[in-house]
Amino acid sequence: MKITAPISTPAEVEPLVRAGARELYCGVVPPEWIRRFNTSGVNRRVFGNLNGYADLERVIDNAHTLDAEVFLVLNAQQYGEQHLDALTEIAAHFRSIGGNAAIVADISLIASLAANVPELAIHVSSVATCRNVESARFFAQLGARRIILPRDVTVAEIAAIATELPELDIEAFVLNDGCVFEEGACHTVHLPMNKGGPICIDNYQFEYRTASGEAPAERALRRLEKNDQDYKRWLWYRFGNGFSVAPNRYPWGPCGLCAMPAMHAAGVHSVKIAGREGASERKVKSVELVHEVLRRIEDGEPETKVRECAVGLRAAPSHCASGYMCYYPEKRSRPEIAVHAQPA
Amino acid sequence: MTPTPTPTPTPTFSIPPKPPAGPIELGFALVDERELAAFARQERVTRDDYLERLGDARQCVTLPDDAEPTHFFLGSEFCEHLLPSIEAIDRAVALCERWGVTFGLVTPIACDSLFEPLRAALARLPAGAEVTVNDWGVARVVQREFPGLRPVAGRLLGKMLKDPRLPSATWARMYPNGLRAGPFREILDNLGIGRLELDFPPFGAADMYAGIDFPVGVRAPYGYIAKGRICKLGSLALDVPEKFSPGHRCRRECLGFSEVGARPGTRELQTSQRGNTMYYRHAPGMSAAIAEAVANGWVSRIVLSGA
Repeated sequence: MKITAPISTPAEVEPLVRAGARELYCGVVPPEWIRRFNTSGVNRRVFGNLNGYADLERVIDNAHTLDAEVFLVLNAQQYGEQHLDALTEIAAHFRSIGGNAAIVADISLIASLAANVPELAIHVSSVATCRNVESARFFAQLGARRIILPRDVTVAEIAAIATELPELDIEAFVLNDGCVFEEGACHTVHLPMNKGGPICIDNYQFEYRTASGEAPAERALRRLEKNDQDYKRWLWYRFGNGFSVAPNRYPWGPCGLCAMPAMHAAGVHSVKIAGREGASERKVKSVELVHEVLRRIEDGEPETKVRECAVGLRAAPSHCASGYMCYYPEKRSRPEIAVHAQPA
Repeated sequence: MTPTPTPTPTPTFSIPPKPPAGPIELGFALVDERELAAFARQERVTRDDYLERLGDARQCVTLPDDAEPTHFFLGSEFCEHLLPSIEAIDRAVALCERWGVTFGLVTPIACDSLFEPLRAALARLPAGAEVTVNDWGVARVVQREFPGLRPVAGRLLGKMLKDPRLPSATWARMYPNGLRAGPFREILDNLGIGRLELDFPPFGAADMYAGIDFPVGVRAPYGYIAKGRICKLGSLALDVPEKFSPGHRCRRECLGFSEVGARPGTRELQTSQRGNTMYYRHAPGMSAAIAEAVANGWVSRIVLSGA
């Protein structure tokens, strides 16, 4: 099982590979794209992209020297008809300088790349919301070599897809950044924070209504409000525990470390660390964290021991015990630990 | 996903209207199968019956005078827990036969465990029934195993930017839809999909549907913004760690409660959340634009549905 890590500068390649990453993914916004389309919307991130093709070439050279692969993110949910040729040119250039795969969500772009840049592998982005065997087969027919499963799948679902389709590489999230809605079914932009930020944490003031349009009865309302409080707590975890780090600098936030033994046993090819726009130190510490767990799995440690280690690595097991920090909560470690963690 | 600082407007294009092929098709979509009981008493249904089900939201719909019901849909695009029961499907199919309208089953993004009940549901549908598919895997199954059914691409497959908070049309143009892009039509053709169902987005215009090489249906008067697999309301009866997690059981609380609200200090589209999905309600200008698209032959069906 490999670790797939995000980069946004050439300087991050060596420390991330040294920490244990074997696959790196990045984005780039070519200046000619901005000139032609008057937008920086090449992928789903404005921030966290490489500065240009020269940086991209350095990244590929450095990574290959260290025996790591490089993937290019072209993963907007959809592109206009005017974009397809330009995206194909970007992908072809990426391949010509040694890039290994493109991460793509839009089905028209997947088909275009398969037809026009056949030597470049296609990884179906989590944004494509591919979360069943039949859907994975559909994307394989279009030309995909790997499926990156979206967040909010269960370990059993991951295992079923990986087992059923051994010819496809399966990649699953393991650390950082939690969407609230399904990425592929969320048609919003992350506005600047002064305009609202992500819609899932924006300042909507909702009131409950019954199906007939009335206010709920008092008892029902109390239950709904209690559920809302729990949800706010879950949101806090979903957004990186208030974007904080542990005292030992390991990152907090959505985490699937406890599920790694099961993923490894199911033949999952790669585990993904999210956060291209994060700080370099956060990326390196993330890879270290995942690599430590992976090393124990590969050394043959029993699952219970691996999970104990995973829970202990950040030295604050109460966050794990909350149950709200897990990508795969069904694999949550259940030590008899009181829940102390509270949202800020 | 922020636009560059000094965007310029995209040039508008002109596409001649397509002559209307006949009266507009009119569908009504129902998620809660318990509401079938209210329809069951009717020997026939009219457009007023359909509009009546929308309550206040009927003010946000403009229909041509000759629009009469042609389709009736049951099921949810947004949740794997809301697949209708076999009994409800049988009742709805029988109602449609009595009314002389086409039945359609609406299906969501699927996890693998949904495929068995889905196959059982599809097996109950008469030849010619429609299946609104929102998952490529479901589309494959319909095409391969149920060739007598007619798959329609649901609005989860017709990707477009629909954030009701967007400050201007410039932002809305950042990621244009790909409905006319290269192989899109061919991919849908290969799946036997012959129709596309879409939302009307904020800052949309009537001609956004022009030149799409498919019959287009529009959902009104609610557009969907975002949907999750995690469901706040569906976690009401759960304990940690099942709460706010995928794959748990559900008591369908979303059929009993919804949330309506706004962002303080704004005059944006009325927004609501039902279960795992956020919606906006059309403003009068949006309803007028849809009517214009219908008049120009760019839209051949309107499907009325609640939030």
